[in-house]
Amino acid sequence: MKELLDITNLTKKYYNKVALDDVTISFEKGKIYGLMGPNGSGKTTLMKVIIGLHKQTSGNVLINDNPLSYKTKCFVSYMPTENFLYESFKVKDIVKYYSDMYPDFRSDYAMEILKEINVDIEFRVSKLSSGLIGKLKVALALSRDTLIYLLDEPLNGVDVLARDAIMDLIVKSYNENKVFIISSHLVSETEKILDSVVFLKDGKVELCGDAEELRQQHGMSIENLYKEVYK
Amino acid sequence: MEFNNNMPIYLQVIHKLKQDIVTGKLRPGEKMLSSREYSHELGLNFNTVARVYKEMEMENIVFTKRGLGTFITESTEKIEIIRYEMAKELLENFVNGMEHIGFTRKDMVEFINK
Amino acid sequence: MFKIIKYDFIRKYKLILIILIAAVFLNLLAIVKFSVQGGVMFLGLFPIAMILLYIVDIIKMYSDDLNKKSGYMLFMTSYSGYKIIVSKLITAILEAIAILLLYLIFILINSIYFSTTQGFDLNVNEIISAVNTILSGRLGFNLGHVFVFLLTVLVFATGFILTAYTSITIRKSIFSETKFGGVLSFIIFIALNWASSFSSSKLMSILPPYYDISGDLGQISATQLIIALLPIIILSVVESILMTLGSGYLLEKRINL
Repeated sequence: MKELLDITNLTKKYYNKVALDDVTISFEKGKIYGLMGPNGSGKTTLMKVIIGLHKQTSGNVLINDNPLSYKTKCFVSYMPTENFLYESFKVKDIVKYYSDMYPDFRSDYAMEILKEINVDIEFRVSKLSSGLIGKLKVALALSRDTLIYLLDEPLNGVDVLARDAIMDLIVKSYNENKVFIISSHLVSETEKILDSVVFLKDGKVELCGDAEELRQQHGMSIENLYKEVYK
Repeated sequence: MEFNNNMPIYLQVIHKLKQDIVTGKLRPGEKMLSSREYSHELGLNFNTVARVYKEMEMENIVFTKRGLGTFITESTEKIEIIRYEMAKELLENFVNGMEHIGFTRKDMVEFINK
Repeated sequence: MFKIIKYDFIRKYKLILIILIAAVFLNLLAIVKFSVQGGVMFLGLFPIAMILLYIVDIIKMYSDDLNKKSGYMLFMTSYSGYKIIVSKLITAILEAIAILLLYLIFILINSIYFSTTQGFDLNVNEIISAVNTILSGRLGFNLGHVFVFLLTVLVFATGFILTAYTSITIRKSIFSETKFGGVLSFIIFIALNWASSFSSSKLMSILPPYYDISGDLGQISATQLIIALLPIIILSVVESILMTLGSGYLLEKRINL
């Protein structure tokens, strides 16, 4: 089965809005997907349903051929865009927590990355700048050795140099058995590492396809295509 | 290496590699980085680089030896052909551009010799 | 499951330390200023203060995990909803036991201090005979009664904790979009408590023959006591089981963080 993530007719409704509207899409292993769209288009909701933080209104999600449940969470490494880490913990305590809670977490790898991207493990989370927290979150998510990686705005709040470092990390993490889904506003910076892109608009899939093919077809960058689609 | 996101990236990588081969930066028969290593170096998607290698192999510019890696062609004739094709493209662009601003072929030759 | 409990306590570690230091400080202050009366005052106020702090803490602990973003730390892990609610319950019970033990230690230390400094002989024989008096029922109750008492407290405390947790769970799953979540949780809490007292009074009305206790009420044996309390204890246990299953299900399948 090439599809690691199979989403069928996924709908998420709230009282006053529809966050996901009958979304059907598959994500193949060995690819890096860019999930794009303006705020409120459903990117975060989609990710949160996959990781089980939100309950869908209707529709099916298959993760590695398994129906969505608490058990499939182990196949998914989610990096939320929010600050969710325990503020009172030091970085090394957070690493220990991940190591305890996730059997597939690679502590040594995490420590290596953190050192490379200049995150001091003795610092408390509450004392970290938003840039460092951003780097920490990405490092944690990528240190898990699992199948599906959902990174929600991994470059947010991160300075230009660190962005390159994070993109490098993602490129280095590539594996033909894994799938990466990255949502980002910074289309121009992320597009060169993407295999495929998915554009969400008002909870629906507006466009999806191979990045290079789209460049050829439309004669423009994904960023410019994005501007066209959402203008 | 900087990439222009407005055109397929794999084509730009192929172009760069051809340049390196033609200028001698990459020698005939030289072993190339693995697709994985090269994708890390360029900061590009692995599949993009894999496609680059595949396309160049189809054009016989590189060849793969199982278990050993990917190598630049050893054929100096092939390299000359690449050089010729690249020159042709550059020239076509030059001629088109110059015609666009009103130069005739004769004008162009004179201009170059000046 | 043990890991969830472990990290809950780790997260409270600073709070525990502060409370401990404050308690010791206040105890010393009370003794220094008011001698034995101060000590007694402290020992009298300690449980009241601790019960309030305890209730605030255990509710906050659960509420934070469901309402704050830090809850993602727990809910991204692949624990089943049932494991989560049971772990939270065990943490709350362990915390209560720890506070109880702390209280006993304070009593012990204060007693030793006063008996030695006030010139009372720490007469081991006297202590033993005092305990014996209690045990032989001359004061009207024995160890059996104490056991029944503790059991009842445990059962009803568990019920209380679970009712609070279930209210929060219901609000964060079924009513996740409603505003004023805190108020709603409280309303659900009241509703659950009402349902519980309704069912126990129903139960009591069905069982009048059972409660025909003849004899002097002042001389109820421990066995008689437990027989009398058994129906409502069982009811509370059943309710706790239902709430555990309900919360577990909601946490696993219906949660919207």
